[in-house]
Amino acid sequence: MTFIEELVALLGPERVRHHPLDLIVFSKDAGVTSGKVIAAVLPEHTQEVAAIVRIARRHDTPIVPRGAGTGLAGGAVPVEPGLIVVLTRLNEIHEVDEVGRTAWVGPGVINLDLSRSLEPVGLHFAPDPSSQQACTIGGNVATNAGGPHCLADGTTIAHVLAAELVTADGSVVVVGSEAPDLPGLDLRAVVVGSEGTLGIITKVLVRLTENAPDVATLLIGFPTIEAAAGTVSGIIASGLIPAALEIMDQPMVVAVENFVHAGYPTDAGAVLLAEVTGTREGVKSGVAVISAIASRNDATEVRVATDSAERAILWKGRKSAFGAVAQAAPDYYLHDTVVPRTALVEVLRKIYEIGDRYDLHMLNVFHAGDGNLHPLVAFDARKPGMLERVQAAATEMVEVSIEAGGSLSGEHGIGLEKRHLMHLVFSDVDLDAQARVREAFDDAGMMNPSKILPEGSRCFDASGVRL
Amino acid sequence: MSWVTEHPPARVDLDACVTCGLCLPVCPTFRLTGDETASPRGRLAAISAVDAGVLGIDERFSDVIGFCLQCRACETACPSLVPFGDIIERATAEVVAQMPSTVSRVRRFAATTGVGTPWIMRGGSILLGIAQRLRLAGALERLGIPASGLRRIPIPLPTARGGSWGASDAPTAMLFVGCVADVWFAEIHQATIEVLLAAGYRVESPKAQTCCGALAAHDGLTDNAERMSAANSSAFASADLIVVNVAGCGSHLKADPELGSRVRDITEVVADAISDGRLETLPANGTSVAIQDPCHLEHGQGIVDAPRAVVAAAGYEVVDADRDGLCCGAAGTYLIDYPETSTELGERKAAAVRAGGTKIVASANVGCEMQLRRFLDDSYDIAHPVEFYARARRGK
Repeated sequence: MTFIEELVALLGPERVRHHPLDLIVFSKDAGVTSGKVIAAVLPEHTQEVAAIVRIARRHDTPIVPRGAGTGLAGGAVPVEPGLIVVLTRLNEIHEVDEVGRTAWVGPGVINLDLSRSLEPVGLHFAPDPSSQQACTIGGNVATNAGGPHCLADGTTIAHVLAAELVTADGSVVVVGSEAPDLPGLDLRAVVVGSEGTLGIITKVLVRLTENAPDVATLLIGFPTIEAAAGTVSGIIASGLIPAALEIMDQPMVVAVENFVHAGYPTDAGAVLLAEVTGTREGVKSGVAVISAIASRNDATEVRVATDSAERAILWKGRKSAFGAVAQAAPDYYLHDTVVPRTALVEVLRKIYEIGDRYDLHMLNVFHAGDGNLHPLVAFDARKPGMLERVQAAATEMVEVSIEAGGSLSGEHGIGLEKRHLMHLVFSDVDLDAQARVREAFDDAGMMNPSKILPEGSRCFDASGVRL
Repeated sequence: MSWVTEHPPARVDLDACVTCGLCLPVCPTFRLTGDETASPRGRLAAISAVDAGVLGIDERFSDVIGFCLQCRACETACPSLVPFGDIIERATAEVVAQMPSTVSRVRRFAATTGVGTPWIMRGGSILLGIAQRLRLAGALERLGIPASGLRRIPIPLPTARGGSWGASDAPTAMLFVGCVADVWFAEIHQATIEVLLAAGYRVESPKAQTCCGALAAHDGLTDNAERMSAANSSAFASADLIVVNVAGCGSHLKADPELGSRVRDITEVVADAISDGRLETLPANGTSVAIQDPCHLEHGQGIVDAPRAVVAAAGYEVVDADRDGLCCGAAGTYLIDYPETSTELGERKAAAVRAGGTKIVASANVGCEMQLRRFLDDSYDIAHPVEFYARARRGK
């Protein structure tokens, strides 16, 4: 039987897609690149995933797992012609332990759905990427996703206790456990953030977080982005750890406000969205501290969202930022660098400079609290030479971030988009070590190949020969 | 050549999508299937590929487009403001033009001749009315005719078409009566007229008006939709204010270049009259009403607060039937081609209403009302928001 015939025999024709239309639709995620798809399959449980992997292995076909396709680094894009394994149908919340505050969930469960379903018991899943209404838990684990509230709560790694995954030989293994401290190597930490290169995640044991008794969200306008960034440094220096500290520059605020109509001040040079959670008294004093620091930094407006509806619309604005860019241009490219908070102002200044030098339309939105920058370039890819110009500028932006003591990616993953920059942060020895870990899981090199690690990472495949 | 119609999907609109994926979770068909090709982003990718000339229009494309309910929930969710409803209507028209057999004959008849020809509409309605009296609704339902969603059809048949009511010196509100609404939902028109008169309007219902053409447009039958639009443009030529009490019709008419700026939903008109004191706020009656948000009110017209304001002013406590919920699956003639999906969504919506516990439901769209009636038992009281207000006024 051919590859397709074997898949159809396993899943039936409805769940094996190879019509030209399907090949196009499944060829890209939310990023800017597209790949080549041989077929896309929609399994419904772990055993089907394992059977699919075995078939692909027999036919020497690379596998690319896919959730909701909201990734921005090309993680779900098949670089080499491959089989897309769509995991949206593994979307069951298997069991919730309200007392132990954990849940086993399918990788296809949508992040926000999980938190909403836990509302009656007063719990939620803490990582809240901007795409949380759409992105899946599997994708969150694969990229070690962050989000505004990771400032206080930590990224996905801090909220995953165990994962079940199907490895390249088709076996089903569980890494991590319900027990808090397992002897031996912490393979869970290796799998979280591995972007599908070690196997396909088919189940996740997540840690659940108690909902805060009280919340306040502040929207603060500033004349300049420096003033906003200065406020963030001031807040962190004060010892207060807010739940979130987000900055948007003026072009971003204008685009967002045009969509949400939340009353964002479009004349401000930058806005800071800050959130404090805790007891009523704690929140009250947090609001007072932030307001005082903001006014010392020339804040032009401090608005405290008083009810959940107002808070929700302010957050909706922040979380629609990437999509709202389309109002400026049909394509956008964004980076995800991290810099020390003390270097925020300086790095931002350099980033705007680079944007000016390349004559690009720049917008900035970022998790200021943990120094995670998302410089965003709006452009039209059909203009000749445009994409190259954007990419050249982007590389410079990453370089200035790393020079300032920062890193390549805060939360979006390396995927396809940033792997050529890995050498900026890792030596050949580092990369070789990572490639060896990968080989330990996937000797055939068939799980999401050509992602994360640049070509030639393994010392002996410098010639480009895949083993 | 990829497109053949005069108004294919516009490149500039397709380009507005940055493929962020925020539309996926609000899309009913994506929710049911987890399938990118059943999502707004996937459909746009397919349409863009046809536009770029790298994909042809065939059976698969037709399926991908036809499976969309056109609820437009994706438009509300889209930060890039992609006009998805317009794009999908144009793509559907292309499919119909290039593969005429794609719209089933039943669907084509229902969306054009059925709703656009008064004697067929009325003849069919009399037969339905007789069938109701012979308790045959269940049997018709099994034949695929959603008869259990109907209110009792009065015989002789009513019509509000061609009437005028109220003092001649008052500002005139022209009533759009619609096709099925005029015959099957006469009480809604009665309540609408009553409340408009109380708000100080004169009400007139032009005789020459016809079906709004939304069903034909959704099914890609552009010529029919344009003929209906032309007829309505001349029937309402002198109108300053055109009042519509069916959200599906209102959403379509608001997009009409001739009529659009003069069209308002009844809930907007009544909510305004309540807030400026032309209509009174009635005392609380201790009963709660669940508000169902029709897609073509919420997403098509951006109206969420007005029906709540109207029902609250009638003295009821307002609760949400299924805020942020998915389309109920009625979606015009969708049921004819995709009965299973329509039923699955109808069951989901009914389950959400049941879970809320409130047995009185307000829906500002007759299509949604019919779908709710099909999946909720007779113990539920389902009516239009303006009917709740009219009832409360009568009873005061």
